[in-house]
Amino acid sequence: MTTIPHLKTERLTLRAPAPSDFGLYRDFYADAEGSGNYGGPLRSDQAYQKLCADLGHWHLQGFGKWIMERREDNQAIGGCGIVHPIGWPSHELTWWLMPEHRGHGYAAEASRAVIRFACQTLRWPNVETHMRDENAAARRLAEGLGGKVVRRETFPDGVTRDVFVLPEPEPESAP
Amino acid sequence: MLETARLSLRKPQAGDIPAWTAFFCTDRARFIGGGTDTDAGRAWRAFAAIMGHWDIHGFGTFTFCDKATGQPLGGCGAWFPVPWPEREIGWTIWNPEHEGKGYVAEAARAVLLHVFGDLGWTTAVSYIDPANARSIALAQRLGVARDDAAERPDREDLVYRHPAPEAA
Repeated sequence: MTTIPHLKTERLTLRAPAPSDFGLYRDFYADAEGSGNYGGPLRSDQAYQKLCADLGHWHLQGFGKWIMERREDNQAIGGCGIVHPIGWPSHELTWWLMPEHRGHGYAAEASRAVIRFACQTLRWPNVETHMRDENAAARRLAEGLGGKVVRRETFPDGVTRDVFVLPEPEPESAP
Repeated sequence: MLETARLSLRKPQAGDIPAWTAFFCTDRARFIGGGTDTDAGRAWRAFAAIMGHWDIHGFGTFTFCDKATGQPLGGCGAWFPVPWPEREIGWTIWNPEHEGKGYVAEAARAVLLHVFGDLGWTTAVSYIDPANARSIALAQRLGVARDDAAERPDREDLVYRHPAPEAA
């Protein structure tokens, strides 16, 4: 079994998804607007399967999604990680945040830790991400991480997306 | 991990996915969320969820294999996702060529001994679609009793309650 490592940033701990995160998944995916870019809205049973599948992804691929927990109050506020579902041509850096926690730079902070993990621990040359053209927030985040569009690709769902390559970030000052 | 006369039961692993996917994308999987209108990607995610269920609960679905060859034949084990009112014993057999040989009953008996014995359960149910005649017949071979008063995840389902197995 893959052990899911803990990553720390200035304000966040990235840790393995746990049974106690079901409420977070349920609430996130119940909100049609907040989860619209993530396949939502989902019923609670589907959100539970999502939590289980996010754990299983680590077993199958050796990487996956973490839960983002705020260090100051240990509150779980979203998730971040790298996914590569079978049948998709490339892996993807991904992040999700409860709507009330957006706009504070948490997704960028977590993303930098995940990219660093991929480059240093997994020894990947780089990390990629992609998003729908209309997802301006994700595009801004990818650009903020220093991402550059390297190709345009049509995915198995028939949607054509820009694919960004994200460089390894500069070392963070010790948290 | 569990053993029977002909089978070994172990945690699911990545190598099971081809056989699982071949099953999941056929009509035989229609009672467990698969079917001919699904695809390999959904089968993969469903299998990932089966693996993650073990992390959440510490118990889950075993893959049962031909003990002699190691070939994975199907899944059988304990299943307790949201919104299940009770812990369930479930089973699937992936290749129709392996049906009718008593493998699922053999695996299920080992699972029942395990959950009532090692895990200390005092009861277990199986939720079965009334149209799933093969599964109902198997449950009956295991000695279940219909429990029409029990809550169920889908009101169309039948609830079958397993007796505590006699020690082997």
